[in-house]
Amino acid sequence: MAHHLVTSADIPEEGERLDAGRLKKIRTICLAVAVGGGLLSAPALFGLFGQGVQGSFSFSWLYGFFFFATLAMGGCFWTLLHNVSNSGWGVSVRRVMENVGFVFPWMFIPMLPLLLPEVQKFLFEWMPKHREAAEYAARYGESAKYGLHHGPKTDHLLYVKYWYLNLDFWYVRMVAYFPLLGFTIYFLRKLSVDQDSDPNPGTSRLKRARWHSCWGVPVFAVVLTFLAIDVVKTLDYKWFSTMWGVYVFAGSALNAMAVIILITIALRRMGYLKNVVGPEHDHLMGKLVFAFTVFWAYISFDQYFLYWYANITEETRYFILRNTAGWNYVSVVLVFGHFVAPFLLLIRQDLKRRNGYMIVIACYLLFMHMIDLYHMIMPERGPSVTKVLHPGNPDSWSLWLNMSGVGDVVAFMTVGCFFVYILLRNLGSAALYPHRDPRILESANVHN
Amino acid sequence: MSSSVKRVYGYLAEFESASALYKAAEKVRDAGFRKWDCYTPYPVHGLDDAMGIKRSILPYFVFFGGLTGLTTAFILSYVTQVGIYPTVVQGKPANIFTVPAFFPIMFELTVLFSGFTTLFGFLGLTQLPRWNHPIFASRQIHRATDDGYFIEIEARDPKFSAEGTRGFLDEIGGGNIELVEDDGT
Repeated sequence: MAHHLVTSADIPEEGERLDAGRLKKIRTICLAVAVGGGLLSAPALFGLFGQGVQGSFSFSWLYGFFFFATLAMGGCFWTLLHNVSNSGWGVSVRRVMENVGFVFPWMFIPMLPLLLPEVQKFLFEWMPKHREAAEYAARYGESAKYGLHHGPKTDHLLYVKYWYLNLDFWYVRMVAYFPLLGFTIYFLRKLSVDQDSDPNPGTSRLKRARWHSCWGVPVFAVVLTFLAIDVVKTLDYKWFSTMWGVYVFAGSALNAMAVIILITIALRRMGYLKNVVGPEHDHLMGKLVFAFTVFWAYISFDQYFLYWYANITEETRYFILRNTAGWNYVSVVLVFGHFVAPFLLLIRQDLKRRNGYMIVIACYLLFMHMIDLYHMIMPERGPSVTKVLHPGNPDSWSLWLNMSGVGDVVAFMTVGCFFVYILLRNLGSAALYPHRDPRILESANVHN
Repeated sequence: MSSSVKRVYGYLAEFESASALYKAAEKVRDAGFRKWDCYTPYPVHGLDDAMGIKRSILPYFVFFGGLTGLTTAFILSYVTQVGIYPTVVQGKPANIFTVPAFFPIMFELTVLFSGFTTLFGFLGLTQLPRWNHPIFASRQIHRATDDGYFIEIEARDPKFSAEGTRGFLDEIGGGNIELVEDDGT
């Protein structure tokens, strides 16, 4: 980077704002696709296209929701981390982190279908069992826990897990996650945005953001971990993993940073952020992506390896299913595509500073994240849905469902366009970087 | 010991502050000197850019060192655990699919070999360790560990000349200019 020192003369007094007209077209298209996809998805989820489609599409919707929820939660993570570590380097990209994170409260809307018992029937095997048990227990004036112990279909595992895995608590949790982390990110973003119009900004908001991020980090950790457990890990309630939350977090932080890199590059190509974001920031963010690629590999291999070693039935079932038939190829693709390839591609310093290169890498990583989540969620689909559709007829149970890919695309596009729409709305609703932050010049002149 | 023959090591000049040193270093760099160095009591940020120091080639050594470690570990585990004495545990296969069991070893040897390559590559590139350095013949260099900021231009630099370099250091603001002579002690 040429040694042009950025001074306050380079920072516009009123900050840089996204010209709404330039992105109007993309926003309109996103909104149209989200609404159209929503109109198509609703009858599928309510079962108007038949039980087969309903079951298959429930998984598609969960996949779409979870993919973009992880990105939004990753945005919250980077905001919190930036504040709590008192960082100076990323002040000029912090607003982008906040904007990605601030999509999270809106992810409440695509989560809503998961609250339908008709959808839950296919996704979460434990829920119908609880409902049957509750029905049985109601005759004796007892709770579902009694039914799980004494009913016609006793299930000791669900009985002992009842304190956590029961319907009431599950609903409370699902509804609580969004205001919890949603408020945290809303509050931090508000602190940051309010500073933009303060004629006398000072450092008080900086310190408050740091202070409030300290409780925000545990909130984030709890929300991400238990959301991941409640909507994905419980697809198979018999499975145990103590790594699950960290595993989802690794992919989520990694890919949120990929999104942040894509946005900062796109904004610079449109002519914004030019004075405050440069190759040094690309390099720093590239290093974080590199670090989290390794972290993801470390965590996911840990999870696999300890189970492989110990060989305990209730632990290995997750990987047995994912090493069966075609899923084995997906597992192998993840090892090489999600770790080895990006590790080698990101190792060089000079390449991390090249925007064109990082665009390709970021898109590639997001694609790998799609495969990663597909590998988490979809192997459960065939067995779960065919079991619900053909109970007591194991010959019809199958690993695969025909045409299920169409639903995946529809759900992914719908939630994805919703995500992009909200993200663009966030980007447009405030200045693109905190131009009155006391450390904006430190960040603009960062050197590593 | 005869000390009649002394070899000129180079010129040492003192600067008033870190920023004076930084600006002077840029001028030395732009004048095209190659064999020269700065001595400061603490790391000065950005000085390597001001001095025009290129990135080290050490990372390449480390990469291939790590690769060697990875391969060594794989061959070592594979040959012993699969080839020579197949270890069957819990009915798990003893073939190429045993590779997850080798990963910790592959990881550790990659780190170990990278570490060794870093250490020994660094020592080789910087020609360390050594018993003495000609700059210690200077009367004032010890102040570089206290409050002195020094630039030293070596005599083996092709642009070095007895009068010209002295004048140049004087011109860019150097004080206490000293001709450091290596007396071989």
